[in-house]
Amino acid sequence: MSTTSDVVVAATGVTRRYGEGDAAVDALRGISVEIPRGQFTAVMGPSGSGKSTLMHILAGLDLPTEGHVSIDGRDITTMGDQALTLLRRTHIGFIFQFFNLLPMLTAEENIVLPLRIAGATPDRAWVDEIIAKVGLSDRRGHRPAQLSGGQSQRVAIARALIAQPTVMFADEPTGNLDSTTSEEILKLLRETVDAYGQTTLMVTHDPRAAAMADRILFLADGVIVRDQGRSTPQEVLAAMSEVSGQ
Amino acid sequence: MIGVALKSLWGRKLRTLLTALSIVLGTTMIAGTFVVRDQITNAFTSIFETGLEKTDVLLSKKTAFGSDNSQSGPLPASDIAAAAAVPGVAKAEGQIQAQGALVVNGKYTASSGPSFVFSTLSDTFSPYNYVAGRPPQQSGEVVVNQQMARDRHLRVGQHALLATEVGTRPVTIVGVFRYGQVSSIGGATIVGTTFADAQAWFDRPGLTSLVFVKADPGVSQVELQRRLTAALSHDVKVQTGPEAAKQQTDQTAGGVTGFLTPLLLAFAFTAVLVGAFIIFNTFSITVAHRTREFAILRTLGASRRQVLRSVLLEATVVGLLASALGIVLGIGFAKLLGVLFDAVGFGLPSTAIRIAPLTVIVLPLAVGTGTALLSAIAPAFRATRIPPIAALREGAELPPSVLARRATPIAGLILAAGLGGIWDGIFNDGSVLGAVLGLGKTADILLSMGIGAILCFLSVAMLSKHVVRPLARLFGMPLEWIVYAGQRLAALLRRIPRALPLLRALAIARRAVFQVRVVLSALQLVLTIASLLLIASGDAVAGVLLLAIGSAAIGYSLRRIWRKPRPDLEWPPETPTRETGRLARENTTRNTARTATTASALMIGVGLVVFVAVFVNGFKDSFLGALDHSISSDLIVQSDSFSSIPKQAVQAAGAVPDVQVAAGIQFTEAKIGHGGTDVINGIDPTTIAQVYTFNWQQGGSNDLLGRFSGNEALIEQQFAKSHHLSVGDHFQVTSIEGNHLDLEVIGQYKDPTLMPGFTVPSLTLDSFTTNSDPGVLLVSFKQGVPLDRGKAEVARALRAFPEAKVRTNAEYKAHTDSQVSGFLNFLYVLLAMSLIISLFGIVNTLALSVFERTREIGMLRAVGTTRRQLRRMIRYEAIITSAIGGLLGVVVGLVFGWILSKGLADQGISFSIPYSLLVVVLIGAVIAGVLSAILPARRAARLDVLEALQYE
Repeated sequence: MSTTSDVVVAATGVTRRYGEGDAAVDALRGISVEIPRGQFTAVMGPSGSGKSTLMHILAGLDLPTEGHVSIDGRDITTMGDQALTLLRRTHIGFIFQFFNLLPMLTAEENIVLPLRIAGATPDRAWVDEIIAKVGLSDRRGHRPAQLSGGQSQRVAIARALIAQPTVMFADEPTGNLDSTTSEEILKLLRETVDAYGQTTLMVTHDPRAAAMADRILFLADGVIVRDQGRSTPQEVLAAMSEVSGQ
Repeated sequence: MIGVALKSLWGRKLRTLLTALSIVLGTTMIAGTFVVRDQITNAFTSIFETGLEKTDVLLSKKTAFGSDNSQSGPLPASDIAAAAAVPGVAKAEGQIQAQGALVVNGKYTASSGPSFVFSTLSDTFSPYNYVAGRPPQQSGEVVVNQQMARDRHLRVGQHALLATEVGTRPVTIVGVFRYGQVSSIGGATIVGTTFADAQAWFDRPGLTSLVFVKADPGVSQVELQRRLTAALSHDVKVQTGPEAAKQQTDQTAGGVTGFLTPLLLAFAFTAVLVGAFIIFNTFSITVAHRTREFAILRTLGASRRQVLRSVLLEATVVGLLASALGIVLGIGFAKLLGVLFDAVGFGLPSTAIRIAPLTVIVLPLAVGTGTALLSAIAPAFRATRIPPIAALREGAELPPSVLARRATPIAGLILAAGLGGIWDGIFNDGSVLGAVLGLGKTADILLSMGIGAILCFLSVAMLSKHVVRPLARLFGMPLEWIVYAGQRLAALLRRIPRALPLLRALAIARRAVFQVRVVLSALQLVLTIASLLLIASGDAVAGVLLLAIGSAAIGYSLRRIWRKPRPDLEWPPETPTRETGRLARENTTRNTARTATTASALMIGVGLVVFVAVFVNGFKDSFLGALDHSISSDLIVQSDSFSSIPKQAVQAAGAVPDVQVAAGIQFTEAKIGHGGTDVINGIDPTTIAQVYTFNWQQGGSNDLLGRFSGNEALIEQQFAKSHHLSVGDHFQVTSIEGNHLDLEVIGQYKDPTLMPGFTVPSLTLDSFTTNSDPGVLLVSFKQGVPLDRGKAEVARALRAFPEAKVRTNAEYKAHTDSQVSGFLNFLYVLLAMSLIISLFGIVNTLALSVFERTREIGMLRAVGTTRRQLRRMIRYEAIITSAIGGLLGVVVGLVFGWILSKGLADQGISFSIPYSLLVVVLIGAVIAGVLSAILPARRAARLDVLEALQYE
């Protein structure tokens, strides 16, 4: 499914320091990682391990103090805001913990928003397919206020997928949902990866979520301490306690 | 809780400042108005007190009624001797008071104020302190006041001409004087002559305007007044010096401020009203935004009352600070007003600024704070209804209150009441309000119209939320398409490989220009302030202060550029899309009430601009229309300073060979029966038909003019109506000097604009009053005389009467037009304050909604919205809001104007829509929207995506 030559996201020697002098804190300390195309990667780690910071830097939302990040072979750490914004349109999709839907737009309008902003005309068949995929065919005309949490997150997933981005980043996508709904959302994420070969990077602290991924990165104190393949929730839990114990 | 309220204000400094500004400008105007009023009153008091300082008793002719326009008649000069003969009189001296100005080197020197010619008094009475030369002693010698000498570069020994009733007379300036210790007598000029010269030159042989009397030592003023009253004829008014000074002050200063103060206050309260809308909006938004915070306070045990108090306390603090600042700025505003008056040719005397505690401090403070408090009450009560549970819920929304659910019917009732008030004010003299308050007719009318207008504004503001959606579509859709088309065009250009580097260079240049613009605007600010200071006399402290502010502004913008040395080029450009426009439109309709309130603040200013334009233009049109209909002369000769045309000028014009008819039309005031005063016109029946066309009524015709003589009168339709007169009736009139006439009505005509009141033959008017000089002179040429030649000849013939301005009908109309425009501009400047406040309102609402939507903006950026698109989105929101405000204002203004023109239809006021102004207003509204979006848009664009996304 993936080869090392087909790396879509690559980080080399990424360090992120907050503050200066004595008060300086290193959130990330020289992380290098490569994400191959079509892989579903989960990033885990205790609070303060730097997992969110890593995702933000990989997605170009934050700049590393040292090191480089490239997406689809282009170094994003040297890009200006405009170039980065345009890059986000075609290469990056986001799923947030709080769904961040526009309240005045319908579900379908929210989904096609990134395309419209980019000035592209949505392909009808593709829009229909995505909406069917996330199971919102009967909800496309509803506004966010009329949708449940799970349905809102489905809209957000469809919105992230609509532009067929090179990589999709999900920041605690189930953090704001109950366990049954979480299960459904995770299944959906897994399905999209399988169906479309969508490269996905997910930050989570939920072992069941991580167990859905092809690969799990464990972070502690700003470094990757473990990098393992597909695991069961029990294996993830065990790895977590091992990491925390270190 | 007090601590919480104050901390929350301090934590939101910028918002507090923007909110406060809406109150600051209103209170500035209130305080400034009273400062100006006091300055004018004090100046007149000191002028008149100085003038009569050494005088014990002043004699003048009794007047039959008070008037601002007619002079009281003269006394026989024999009264001087008669007064001097009364025991206890040390000295009695006469003075002639007239109007006229110098002609220096062929230039007529009349200024923006009145031009007086007074005969000089001896040292016993004279208030003049000579700074050069001496008083006039021989015929042909004159003295001038210091300010005029300075302004016109006059010096002792200089020869000039003096414009008089009998033409210009050669004079020599022999002295320059200062009027008592008064620094400025405004734009007024005084030329002093000998008593004999003044008598001869101003048609007062054997007469005197006033008699100044000095008492013997030991004789009190009151005693002297008693003796003189007994000795002299009963039509002589005998006043002690202080009495006369007080009367003159009240009459003159009261005349000026009685008109000016309510006018300025009306504009000030308009500004306050606009401010109230903004305060209301800001507090509504902040309360909604702080739902979580209030809920947390409630869970921590704060009572509803404490929440209420904390919001109201914030409002009070904002109101107090803003009013205090407003009062300080009001003093500057007073100076600005002085400059403004001078600019529109309305030079007023003034003194140093004295601050009256009640009107300049207490009143603005109370109004400013009260407005802030009242506007915050509804949002404060809304805050109390936030349940503690909202602390735990994301985006909890309050159900609308009972009152809010009935808002539409309530607003309908208010609208009906408001329109009713205006209607009642115009058509029924404000009878409803009058029945309750009974403040007198004029006050009732104005108050019911004013209150009616405020109610209308309020209700339209409440109702307009229903039209926000369609209007947003109306304005938003074309906006989206126009910009989209532009982007498409740019995209096409980019296809051409050669154009690409050029476009890139343009993008770089745009950023650079923007940075330069920031510096320039700051520079401009400083320059404006500096120039304002130069005009408004060099006040060192204020100058340094303002300069410091200006430099701070420049420093700030420089620092901004310094901090961001390499701006993002915003290159490569994004693909064209209409989505930003659509999002903007959706954003403005998201909370229609909020958009409606913001737009309504602008509506008030725009509505008044349109209303004023409709009204003043209606007035102008009716005047110009009347000229076209009735005046058939070739020339219209009039003085620019409201003074009359000497009778000799009429003869001089008539003597020009090319002139067929030179007809003077007189107008002055007379008391009708025992009631009020009205206009009395005097015409020459033999010539009038050749220059003026009567619009006859009730069977009247030009034949009437053939036998029009003696005590006969033609009456204007309105006059007939209000005095219940018709042909054959008799009525009594009294002149200002107390002469009576019994007139018979022989005809009726219609011309409420040029010949209101009633008309008598000029011979009758001549014997009736001394104010019988013509107000206007109409000249017709003989057949075949070219206009240019005729005009040049008449102008040459009238060279001895420089106050008489000779204009062709077209020139006269153009002159009227420009005068009206000047007055309109004056009103627009005053209304500008309200408009500026409403712009701050748009800025404030936008800034708050950007703040409120921080996370949303973060999401938009994350999914690929560029900074430029974001700025554009916010700019469109502002444009849509301001365009809605502009349109509402236009509609309201036209409705008000239409109602008023209907009410004044019988006075000849017509309703005409000022189309060009409407276009300007709407374009202006769009520009205003663009301007007010600058700051909020930049703020939104600068948001860090990550921080915005994590914002709670």
